[in-house]
Amino acid sequence: MSLCEKQTTSSRRGFLANGIKAVVAFFGLGLGIPLLGFSLSPTRGRDRHEDWIPLIALAELKDSRPTKVTYQYERKDGWTTVATRKMAFIVQNGDGAFTVISNRCPHLGCGVDWDATANQFRCPCHGGVFDLQGRVLEGPPPRPLTQLASKVEDGSIFIREA
Amino acid sequence: MGKIYQFIDQRLDLTPLLRKIADHPVPDHANPLKTRSAFIYCFGGISFLVILMQILTGAFLMLYYVPSPDHAYASVSYIKNEVAFGGFVSNLHRVGASAAVLMVFLHMLRVFFTKSYKNPRELNWVAGVFLLFIVMGLGFTGYLLPWDQKAYWATTVGLNILEGVPLAGGFLADALRGGSEVGMLTLTRFFVIHVMFLPGLLILFLAAHFFMVRRQGISHPL
Ligand code: HEM
Ligand code: FES
Repeated sequence: MSLCEKQTTSSRRGFLANGIKAVVAFFGLGLGIPLLGFSLSPTRGRDRHEDWIPLIALAELKDSRPTKVTYQYERKDGWTTVATRKMAFIVQNGDGAFTVISNRCPHLGCGVDWDATANQFRCPCHGGVFDLQGRVLEGPPPRPLTQLASKVEDGSIFIREA
Repeated sequence: MGKIYQFIDQRLDLTPLLRKIADHPVPDHANPLKTRSAFIYCFGGISFLVILMQILTGAFLMLYYVPSPDHAYASVSYIKNEVAFGGFVSNLHRVGASAAVLMVFLHMLRVFFTKSYKNPRELNWVAGVFLLFIVMGLGFTGYLLPWDQKAYWATTVGLNILEGVPLAGGFLADALRGGSEVGMLTLTRFFVIHVMFLPGLLILFLAAHFFMVRRQGISHPL
């Protein structure tokens, strides 16, 4: 059978081919959609930490140079909870006013540090340089260092990432 | 689709090759569209389909599963309770495991009762026996992975049964267990056997099995 009997078998072949396509589509969608959702579900929604996080007591702020502080909060990581540690700088602007600047470089995320001799923030990765206010002076960073929302309560500084 | 196929076919001349692989008539006695009772000849193909589903769902479960006593149970309950379609995927894998053993066994019964294991197909029967043990080995090793009470005690009992094998039993059980108690090393061993060694063997033996089926053709019942 097969090729010489083309006339009589072609419609059956077409029917079977369509049937196979339907089965493949059924399995493809029936498995494809759940498996896609399965793979992507934990990536939905960036987890933002909404709570106010204590940084440091106002009394501990010393001279006018940026004060480097480490803060920490608990974050859900898959089925575990982990402590995330991050760094920020408190920059005093006189009269007790201050801003809190994240040390995350807005270029590709390395940690910037304060260079006390040059009076600049420097990023070790690709030469990003920022002034005391976090404005870009040199290098590839596309925007200033991020300012974190801050407040003073009971004599302490609190920040919030969101 | 057609265009893409044409593009590739013009360059690689695939059609004759595909014809050779796929374009062969199923004999009437094995074709359920022609002979009602021929559905028993589908059991081998259904076994293969179920095994493909197991490989697919298993690969996706590995996105989250962690084979360590500290995390195995929590990662499985994370899959089931928090990941989208997690219950669907893990239950598909679990039900599929039972379905695989069932379908392979029915397939073996078909081969047995149509006496298809006889000359010249003895070697394919032997390959089939290996496939049966591989599929059961996958079931046994997979059962431990959720690391819950049922998994732990089923493995404890299963390995103690293995200890009953004369002479080599104690050695075999200890080798699989990674010691004298079911624990961390048992879990990592079973995990690797489940996702690497046995699937590798399975693919090898399936290739041999299918090669022999195509080479020899489907038997006529005696
Ligand atoms: C992973 C498990 C297995 C798969 C996927 C599988 C698949 C297949 C398929 C697709 C065929 C073609 C005919 C049919 O579908 O009935 C076949 C034939 C055959 N199988 Fe299997 N098989 C498996 C396990 C076994 C086992 C456990 C045995 C026996 C111990 C076995 C022995 C045979 C023999 C002898 C044939 C040739 C039958 C004939 O020519 O009529 N297979 N197998
Ligand atoms: S990450 Fe800071 S300059 Fe590239």
